[in-house]
Amino acid sequence: MELILAAAECDPTEVIICVPGNVNELFELPFIGGVNRTMLLIALAAVIVIGILWFGLRKRSLVPSKFEAAVESLVLYMRDEVAVGIIGPKDGLTFFPYLLALFLFILVGNLFGLAPFINFPITSRIGIPAFLALVTWFIFVLMGFKRQGLAYVGHLLWPPGVPVALKPLVGIIEFVSTFFVRPFSLAVRLFANLVAGHVMLTLLLVSGYVFVTSVGDIGAKALVGVGWFALGLGIFALEMLVALLQAYIFTLLSAVYIQSSVHPEH
Amino acid sequence: MEGLGEISGSLALIGYGLGAIGPGIGVGLVAGNAVQAMARQPEAAGMVRTTMFIGMALAEALALFGFVLFFLAA
Repeated sequence: MELILAAAECDPTEVIICVPGNVNELFELPFIGGVNRTMLLIALAAVIVIGILWFGLRKRSLVPSKFEAAVESLVLYMRDEVAVGIIGPKDGLTFFPYLLALFLFILVGNLFGLAPFINFPITSRIGIPAFLALVTWFIFVLMGFKRQGLAYVGHLLWPPGVPVALKPLVGIIEFVSTFFVRPFSLAVRLFANLVAGHVMLTLLLVSGYVFVTSVGDIGAKALVGVGWFALGLGIFALEMLVALLQAYIFTLLSAVYIQSSVHPEH
Repeated sequence: MEGLGEISGSLALIGYGLGAIGPGIGVGLVAGNAVQAMARQPEAAGMVRTTMFIGMALAEALALFGFVLFFLAA
């Protein structure tokens, strides 16, 4: 059976978990080592995002079509609720284009995993979420230094009201959590959600296929495959929600982090 | 430590399972309290929902670290 890919290569009697041989692919970095599928899909995602915004906002018609109305309400939601709502009226508009582009790119990248014939979420390669998280990291660190100067580090390490005796400990914790855990968790959250969802989807649908097609060998037991298929389709719907939610959370947390550097009083 | 050596193949998976307990409880607490807050003050639902997502995302992060470390260690 060709469908059982790399897991068949390891001996289940020796190793309890069969690690697929290509697990390193998850940690590949795009743009290194020639053109591959990930790179092409990144370009495709960028084209789709630009296309959505271009065709959605091109003409300011009095009565917008359904597509235009959808794009407009999405853009307005991102502007009013996320950018302005979290960062603030003036700075929110400055970072609104970045947040909108981030949201749409991640959303399209996530939905690639569910799109027929593509079936590959580009955000399930650590390079892409890591890069996006690094961009957010640079923005909030640079904005912190720009707005507050060197006092940024002080504000960050010792929030107001920390007792003197606790300052070293709190300083270390805050330093690590701001400069290391924030970008790392931002990247890993998106990456792990997409990988887990994709693995689960593949496992359920492939096992459904394998059971159903082996009906000649195992007879009525093949009906189990129908159950796997049904569960797989349920997970498929869940993955649509996850794709939207993870794009939203990434954008939301980027906005929260930027806000924490721009307005130190909170 | 002979006993642990015998099950070395599955240690990463056990570790991930242990690591998922805390975040699971945390996410449940966040969601449950958010539902309570929304039921008490439906007019604040929008604000509560945004904060709930942030809190859930932060609590969930630890479980996802475990997921990645499972891949790295396995």
